[in-house]
Amino acid sequence: MVSLNAVLLISFLLFSIGIIGVLIRRNALVILMCVELMLNAANLNFIAFARHSGSVSGQAFALLVMGFAAAEVAVGLALVVALYRKRDTVQVDDINLLKG
Amino acid sequence: MEHFIQTIGRNMFAIFGVMALGGAAFMIASRSAVHSVLGFLFAMLCIAGCFLSLEAEFLGMAQILVYAGGIVVLFLFVVMLVEMSKKKEKEVFQLQSRYAVVAVLLGAALFLGVFRKVLFGAASPEALVLRPELAQGLNVAGQNAQAVSRGLFADYLLPFEILSVILLVALVGAVVLAKTERV
Repeated sequence: MVSLNAVLLISFLLFSIGIIGVLIRRNALVILMCVELMLNAANLNFIAFARHSGSVSGQAFALLVMGFAAAEVAVGLALVVALYRKRDTVQVDDINLLKG
Repeated sequence: MEHFIQTIGRNMFAIFGVMALGGAAFMIASRSAVHSVLGFLFAMLCIAGCFLSLEAEFLGMAQILVYAGGIVVLFLFVVMLVEMSKKKEKEVFQLQSRYAVVAVLLGAALFLGVFRKVLFGAASPEALVLRPELAQGLNVAGQNAQAVSRGLFADYLLPFEILSVILLVALVGAVVLAKTERV
C-alpha cells in the first residue's frame, strides 16, 4: 500500500529540485529539463489523487499534461537553437539585451 | 529472503521515488550538459516506475515512450548541436544561486511546517490509502488503458482536441523558429 503522503512528499521534493534548478543554472537546456521535471511532479500528484479517489480523470489529465510537455519541449528547443544561431551561446546570462 | 523480497515489493514506490530524486539532483548538479541529460533520463524512468506502482500502467508506459524515447533524444541532439561552443562555460551556477537555494529551502520548510500536522500528525483525517472498492474505477475489466481512454474520449474530449491543436501549433512554430534564415 502506498500512502498518499509519501507520493505528495516525493512530488513536492521533485518540484523543489526543479525550482532550484531553474533558479541556479545558467544553461538554457538544463533550465528546460528542470521545467519538464516540475511538470512530471505535477503529473505524479494527478495520478496519486486519481488512485486515491478511484476516478480516472486524474490519469486522463496526466496524459494531457504529457502531451503539453512534449509541445513545450519542441518550442523551447527550437528557441534554444535559434538563440545559438544568433548569439552563439546558450547561457542565459549572456542574453541581456533588455537589461537597462 | 522471501520476506526481504516482499518488503521490497511493498515499498516499490518509495524506492523509485528516492531514485528519481537522486537522478534529479544529479541533473541540476552536474557540470556537463550531457550528464544532465542522462540524469534527466534516469529520473524520468524512475518516475515511470512510480506511475506503474500507482496502478497507472498505461501512463507509465507512455512516460517511457514519450520521455525516454522522444524528449531525451531531442535534448541529446540539441546538446550535440549547441554545446560545441568556442567559449567555455564560465560558471555553471548563477551568481544569485545562494539566495535562490536559501529561498527555496525556506519555502520548503514553511510548507512542511504548515502542513506537517495535516499530513503526518495524529490529526490527519483518515489513513490516506486507497480503498479497494474505489480502485475498481481505475480498472475496466482489468485494463487500465481502457479506463483512461474512456476518461479521455468521453469525459474530456474537448481538452483532448484543444491539445491536438496546441501540438499542431507547436510543430509549426518549432519549424519556423529553427529553420535557417534564407531570403
